[in-house]
Amino acid sequence: MLFPTIEFGIFFLIVFTVSWAVRGLPEARKLFLVGASYFFYGWWDWRFLGLLFLSTLISYLAGLALARAEREGLRKFIVGVAVVSGLTILGFFKYYDFFLSSLASLLEVAGLTRDLPFMQVILPVGISFFTFQGISYVVDVYRGHATAERSLVNVMLYISFFPQLVAGPIVRAADFLPQLHRPARLSRAHIGVGTVLILTGLAKKMVIANYLATELVDPVFFDPSAAGALDLLIGIYGYAVQIYCDFSGYSDIAIGVAALLGYRFLENFNQPYRAASLQDFWRRWHISLSTWLRDYLYVPLGGNRHGEARTYRNLFLTMFLGGIWHGAAWTFVFWGAFHGAMLGIERYARRKIEEFAPAHTDPGGALSALGNSARHIVGIFWTFHLVCFAWIFFRADSFQTAASYIAGFARFGEPSQYVTPFAVGLILLAMVFQFTPQHLGRWIARGVQYLPSPLLALLLGGGIWLIWAVAPEGVAPFIYFQF
Amino acid sequence: MLDMLHDKPHEDAEAQSERETVRAVRRMALTLFLTVLMLLVLNSERLVTWVNGFEVGPVQDRVVGLSAGWNAWMEEAGFTQPTEAARENVNNARQVNWDEVRRWIEQEQARSRDGARALRGMVGEG
Repeated sequence: MLFPTIEFGIFFLIVFTVSWAVRGLPEARKLFLVGASYFFYGWWDWRFLGLLFLSTLISYLAGLALARAEREGLRKFIVGVAVVSGLTILGFFKYYDFFLSSLASLLEVAGLTRDLPFMQVILPVGISFFTFQGISYVVDVYRGHATAERSLVNVMLYISFFPQLVAGPIVRAADFLPQLHRPARLSRAHIGVGTVLILTGLAKKMVIANYLATELVDPVFFDPSAAGALDLLIGIYGYAVQIYCDFSGYSDIAIGVAALLGYRFLENFNQPYRAASLQDFWRRWHISLSTWLRDYLYVPLGGNRHGEARTYRNLFLTMFLGGIWHGAAWTFVFWGAFHGAMLGIERYARRKIEEFAPAHTDPGGALSALGNSARHIVGIFWTFHLVCFAWIFFRADSFQTAASYIAGFARFGEPSQYVTPFAVGLILLAMVFQFTPQHLGRWIARGVQYLPSPLLALLLGGGIWLIWAVAPEGVAPFIYFQF
Repeated sequence: MLDMLHDKPHEDAEAQSERETVRAVRRMALTLFLTVLMLLVLNSERLVTWVNGFEVGPVQDRVVGLSAGWNAWMEEAGFTQPTEAARENVNNARQVNWDEVRRWIEQEQARSRDGARALRGMVGEG
């Protein structure tokens, strides 16, 4: 059940009505929301409902065991078992065939062809997200950031809550579970934020991402060897915008829907293409994943606490594993490794620059401010192009396609087939919103929250109508569903 | 007694929050109801497309018939025209090529030059 469909619209109307009608009975409300979330997930593929429940049960039981265990060794053992169990499930469904096909290729190179037990495992939608949420819960309980839940329903709702179930944002137990212990509340602010986010999310996904995909990105990536340099350049800019609008659009709708049900998720994107460094980019892109990787991988690996060499190793490993998390393909592995390596190089370069020209020796004044602005602009330009280069590997279905794409940049002068004013206009429109004031959304939501119902309906209904009217036919699935 | 100074505002805040929730839920419910009505009127064509995807059966056939009738009624009343106009505008924008953009820029430049001439009183000098 995709967000921008009539099915989801009907589903949401029922969930909104019933959940607020039974808000006087908090346990019944939570149970209803769990039922609705399992229905939502079962709509994709009911066969994996058991897997979702099993994953939840492991986390729940681990939490209870942690609450009772006092010895540190035992607590570590419980966390270890829960994390390994979660990762084993994820590893089997997501990486089993990838591992075997890589092994088969390796054996073939060594002249040792073998029949391997391939199983054509179907990837359950959202498995990467609900596995990470389960791990987040167990580790948060272990660290004392969240208390162990006695209620299975609360843990089920935390892991399966439908707005974030299939493509995030990855919600932290410490942020979400306390909300389940308070009475559900809906305020003007919830309505304002929810309405604005749902409309912007729909516009990003249905109009910008879908048009760019069908008119520019898909044809260019289908056969990069047939495209000229201009098509390839604007094609990768188009993909940068498409994936941003697709994924942040989903996050916006998820956060907006949760807000209308009285829950608060944290921000998942913050104008990532205005980042002036890769480090800054990762603070703005898929924030719930990058902070997850930081808190549950980079920091336990030692972070930056054990010298420079270990810091570079930890940075690289974190991004490398982040790449693998995205998908079972070597192109994703390269994408993660590239970001890890570039983050290390960027850190090294920054330290060297600091050594040669420490910030406190800066003379100040207008000339210096001009220099800082120029450096900032160069930083944005450089970071955006580094990210775009990495997107080629993220989008390409193989290294051959990626290599063909990069080689095509040498074909100057070939006439463009796909770069139309419409596609360029969409890219520019999306990029303009990367540089608008950061609180623009908040200001609009503040205005919207005081609108009377008829005007609010005019805005919401008119907005949805216009988006549906101008969007391409059909509804393409969100890119991040495959992860 | 002094604890009343602390507890009373807290209770008030709870009660106020409860009242706000009741108001907000009513307001949002009304908004959603009006939104659905608006979409049923303006977007009846999409409703037909959606119900046509249903499996064959007596209930489904009845729903398909009802929605087709509803769409025909909305078309007759002219409510589907805004959707068609919006779609046509977007399709026109998609067909625009770079030559048209160049011509439009040249026209705009010429217009601004003429405007500047007129401002300087040079209209008759040409």
